[in-house]
Amino acid sequence: MSPETTKTATKTAISLAKGKPLWERALDFLSSVRFGIFLLCLLVVLSFLGMVIMQKNVQGFDTYFASLTPAERWLFGTLGLFDVYHSWYYNFLLLILSLNIILASIDRFPKAWSYIVKPKLEATRAWLLKQRYKEILKTVSNDSLAEAIKAIFEENGLKAKITERGPRTYVFAEKGKWNRMGAYIVHLALLILFLGHFVSLQTGFDADVRLIPGQTTNQIQLIEFNLDLEKGLSVERYNVDLPFTITCTDIEQKLIDPKGSIDINNTIDWRTQIRIDDPEYGTTIADIQLNKPFSYRGYRFFQASAITVGNARKMTLELTSQKDGSVTEVLLERNGFTSLPDGTVIEYDSFYPDFVLSNGQPDTRSGEYNNPAVRLNVLTPEGERKIAYAFFNRLPDGIPIGAPVAGYKFRLKDFEKVPLAHVLSIKYDPYHGAFIAWYFGGFGLLASLAFVFFFSHQRFWALIEKSKDEIIIAADTNRNHVSFEEKFKKIASKIKEITKGENYVTSDFGEKRNHFDG
Amino acid sequence: MSQAISAKNVTTSTDKRSEFVSYYLPAILAIVGAFLMLFLRLQIGQSFISDTALMMIALAFYVLAAVLQLTDLYAPSEIARKISFVSAVLGVFFNLSSWLVRWVNLYEFEIAQLRASGNMETPWIFRHIPFSNLYDLSLAFAFGAGLATILIIKRPSVQSLAAFSLPLAAIILTLARFIGGEYTNLMPILDSYWRPIHVGVASISYGIALVCFAIAVAYLLKDNVKVEAMAIWVGLFTVGVIASVSKFSVFTEFVYRAGIFLPNSPKPFLTPFRLELPFVGPLLVMTGIFCLAMIASFLAYIYKNIEKAALIGHWFLRLSIVTLVLSIGFLVYGIKTTENVGEKLEAQLAANSAGYITAGKAIAERQQLSAQEFAQITPFQFERMGRQFLQENKSKMYLSLNTNPVELAGLITALVALGFVALFSFKTEHLRERLPSLETLDGLMYKTAGLTFAGLAMLLITGAIWANESWGRPWGFDSKETGALVAWLTYAAFLHTRISRGWTGRASAYFAIIGFLLIIFTYLGVSYLLPGLHSYA
Repeated sequence: MSPETTKTATKTAISLAKGKPLWERALDFLSSVRFGIFLLCLLVVLSFLGMVIMQKNVQGFDTYFASLTPAERWLFGTLGLFDVYHSWYYNFLLLILSLNIILASIDRFPKAWSYIVKPKLEATRAWLLKQRYKEILKTVSNDSLAEAIKAIFEENGLKAKITERGPRTYVFAEKGKWNRMGAYIVHLALLILFLGHFVSLQTGFDADVRLIPGQTTNQIQLIEFNLDLEKGLSVERYNVDLPFTITCTDIEQKLIDPKGSIDINNTIDWRTQIRIDDPEYGTTIADIQLNKPFSYRGYRFFQASAITVGNARKMTLELTSQKDGSVTEVLLERNGFTSLPDGTVIEYDSFYPDFVLSNGQPDTRSGEYNNPAVRLNVLTPEGERKIAYAFFNRLPDGIPIGAPVAGYKFRLKDFEKVPLAHVLSIKYDPYHGAFIAWYFGGFGLLASLAFVFFFSHQRFWALIEKSKDEIIIAADTNRNHVSFEEKFKKIASKIKEITKGENYVTSDFGEKRNHFDG
Repeated sequence: MSQAISAKNVTTSTDKRSEFVSYYLPAILAIVGAFLMLFLRLQIGQSFISDTALMMIALAFYVLAAVLQLTDLYAPSEIARKISFVSAVLGVFFNLSSWLVRWVNLYEFEIAQLRASGNMETPWIFRHIPFSNLYDLSLAFAFGAGLATILIIKRPSVQSLAAFSLPLAAIILTLARFIGGEYTNLMPILDSYWRPIHVGVASISYGIALVCFAIAVAYLLKDNVKVEAMAIWVGLFTVGVIASVSKFSVFTEFVYRAGIFLPNSPKPFLTPFRLELPFVGPLLVMTGIFCLAMIASFLAYIYKNIEKAALIGHWFLRLSIVTLVLSIGFLVYGIKTTENVGEKLEAQLAANSAGYITAGKAIAERQQLSAQEFAQITPFQFERMGRQFLQENKSKMYLSLNTNPVELAGLITALVALGFVALFSFKTEHLRERLPSLETLDGLMYKTAGLTFAGLAMLLITGAIWANESWGRPWGFDSKETGALVAWLTYAAFLHTRISRGWTGRASAYFAIIGFLLIIFTYLGVSYLLPGLHSYA
C-alpha cells in the first residue's frame, strides 16, 4: 500500500470512528483496557484512603473522631471516607469494573477464540519474517523434509500439521492453544468472586451472642455503627430472632499454665458447647472452638472472644465436718450440684473472682482471681435452705462469712479457670455466597492464574519454498519469552542439522514487541 | 534419519534433566542443607547455635554477596562473581536454617511452659511454625527474596541483579534483628493449618516482589534514567523518614528521642516515654537539609541543564551520607551506653514537662476509654498519670535498639539508598554497560511481577478463606487485607498496561516500584501505624 493510500485509509478510519454513534463510542470506552486500568487505579486510591482514615467500625474510632478538627470531620464525613468500603461510589466503582471486565472480554473473545478454532496453518513469507523469532535456512529441499521437520516439532511436545500449497509446504506446530482462554477464565473467576460476595452481603448478616453457661436465648445481636458528624459515633445493637433456641451448656478455656491468668497470652483455645432446640429439626449438641466453626441452617457460629471476668468451670470443695472434724472433698460443676452421704445437697450459685462485700451484698472487686470465692446453696437433710461461701484464700478464724453452714465448713480447694462468658459471632449466609465467592471464585482464580502464567501458547512455522531452496522457520508465543527463545534456538538448530542448511538470517531477539500481539 | 532423531531424543531428555538439576541445584542444596541443620538441632538440643545467630550469619552472607557483585560490576572478576554466588547460596541456607531452628525452639519453649505448670498436653508441631509475628515474617520474607535471587542469578548474564536485591534482603533481616526474636506464646486465633499456607505464601510473594523491585531499579539505571533523578527520589524518602521518626520531633524540635523499655516477659514493655539522645537530632536535621539542597541542585541540573548544579548536588549527597552515618552512629552509641535512663528522663522532663502529658495520654489510650471518658480527663490529670508512671518505673527503664525497629530500619534503608545512588554516580556509563540488556531486564520484570501477582492473589484468597473459618467473615476491609488488595490491584494494573498500551520498559518499572512500596506498607505500615484485626503481624 502506498503512503498516500495509507494516509487516506487512516483518515477514513478516524472519520469513521468520529462518525460512530455515541452509544457505540461509549461502549468502546467502557470496554477498553485503558479504562479498566483507570478504574483499578481509582480503586487503589479509594482503598488506600480507607486504610489511612480510620473506618467507623474499627475499635478506637470514637477517640480518633474526637481528635479530628471540625473541618476534617466535615470533609471526611461528607465524602463518606469514614465508611469508604460501603459507600455508594465504591460499590458503583466495583460494578463499573465488573462491567468493564465483561465488555472487554466480549470484545476480545472472538480473536482469542480464533486462535483455537482457526489456527494459522499457513503464513506468508513477509508475515513470518516479521516474527520476533525467525531463521532462514538455505538448503536443497526434498520430499521427506516436511515430515522430518514435523517430527522435530513433535519431539518437542508440539502438535504439528503439514499443508501443501503448490511449490510451498507449510509445517505448522503449536502447543497450549487453550492458554488463550486463560485471561477469560481468570476474569470469570473474579466475577464469580464479586457476585458471591455481593450475594452474601445482601442476603446475610453478621451478629454476635454472649453466652453464659445455663443461659438460653433465641436472639442474636446485630451491631450497627452510626456516625453523626456532630454527635459522633453511636453503636446500636438490634436483636434478631432465631428460628431455634440456643442453650449454652459449657464453656472451657484451655490455658498454657492452668494456674495462670485467663488472658489471651496464656490461652491455647476456647470451647463453647451449645444445645440447639429446633422445633423443626429437633435437638443438636455442638462444640465450637477457635478456627472450628459450626454450621446450622445457614447460620455459622464462630468462637469469637470471651468476657474475661474470672469464673470457674469445675470446683473442688473441701468440707470439714463440724461433728467429727473429718474432711471430705467433693467436685462441683458450674450450675451443677452434688449430694453428700448424709443427704445434704450442695448447689452452685455463683462465683466471685475477687470477692468483696459491698453494702452487705456479695460482689466482685475486679475480674482478676485475687480473692476467689463460690457462693453455694445448701439444702440440709431437713429441707432447710442455707447460703454458704467457700473461699480459696484462707480466712482468719471468726469471720462471719466463713462460718460453718449446715454442719460443714466450706473451703474452695481448687478450681478450673474459665471466663464469665463466651462471645460467639454468627454469620448468616443462606445462599452460601461466601462459599461460592471464595471457594469457587477464589480457587478458580488461583487455578486460572497458574494456567495463565505457567503455560503459554507456542506456535512454530516452517515454510519450505522449493523454488528458492529455502526454509523459513518462525515462532511466536504469548508469554515466557526467555525460555521460549531457548526452545526456538534448539529447534532451529535441530532443523539446521537435518537439512544441513546454512542460515543467512537469524532472529533479531532485540526487537521490542508487545508480548500479546497475535 | 528416524534413528538419528531417536538418538538425539535420548540425549535431549538427559540434557534437559541435567540442565534442570544444574539450574536448581544451588537452591536445592541450600534447602536440603537447612533441613540437615534442623536434624542437627534436634540431635544436639538447646546447646545448638541460636536461631538469631544463624539469622545474623545469613545477613552477613547476603551483604558479602551483594558487595562482591557490586565490586564485579566495577572491576570484573570471575572469582568475585563465583564467591558472590556461593555467598548468596550460603545466605539462603543460613536464612532457612534460622527459620527451621526457630521452629524447634518455639516448640520447646511452649512445651517447657506446659510441663512447668503440670500440663502434660503436647500441641501439634505445626502450632509452632514460625509464622506468628513480624519477626517470623521478616525471616521468611528475606528467605523468599534470597531464594528468588539465587534462582534468577543462576544465569550468568543476570548475576549482577544480586547487587540490587540482596542488600534489600539484608535490610529485612536487619529489621528483624531490631524487632527482636523473643519467643512468645501463639495468639490462639492463629492456631490453624491455614497459617503456614497463608503466611508462607505471603513470604514467598513478598520475596519475589522484592526481586522484581530490584530488577526495576536496574532497568531504570540501564535505561539511562539519570542518577540525579534517582537521587531526588531517594532524597525525598530520606527527608520523609527523618521527618517522621521520633514522633516528628526532629524537624520541629531538633531532637531525636529513643523509645524506652521496661523489663517484661516475654517481650519488654514499651513505655510512653522517649529519651533525648545527644547530637542525633541536629545531625539528622543537617542530613535533611543536605538532602533538600541535593534535591534542589539536581532539579536545577535536570530541568535547567546547569552542570554546576549537578556537581554541587553530588557534594550535598556525600555530605548527607556522612551526617546520616554519624547520626546513626551516635544513635546506636547513645542507646548502647546510656545508663540511669529513668533519672536522665526525669531531668529532661523537668525542663519540658509536656512529655508527661503526652505520656499520660498514651497511658489513657491503652485503657481503651471511650471518647467521652477520654475527653473528660484534663491535661493536669494526664500529667499526673505520666509522673506517676515515671516514679513507679524509672529504676527499671532501659534503652534498646529494639524499641523503634521501623525507625532504625528506615534510617538504615535511607543510608543504603543514598549510598547506592552515590555509587551509581561513579562510572555510571561503565555500570550501565555491565548490566543485563533492557529486554532481558524487562522480561524478568514481567515474569517476577506475574509471579508476585499470582502469589498475592493466593495470599488474598487463602486469607479470606481462613478469615471465614476464624472470624466468621471472609472479607472485612481490615487494614492488612486492604493493604494486600491495594498491592495486588497495582500489579494487576501493571500487567494490564502491558496489554493495552504496550507499556513495557520504563512505565512497567515504575509500576513495579510502586507495587513493592505498597507491599512494604502492608508489611510494616499496617502493623505499626494502623489498628485492625491483623495488628499482631
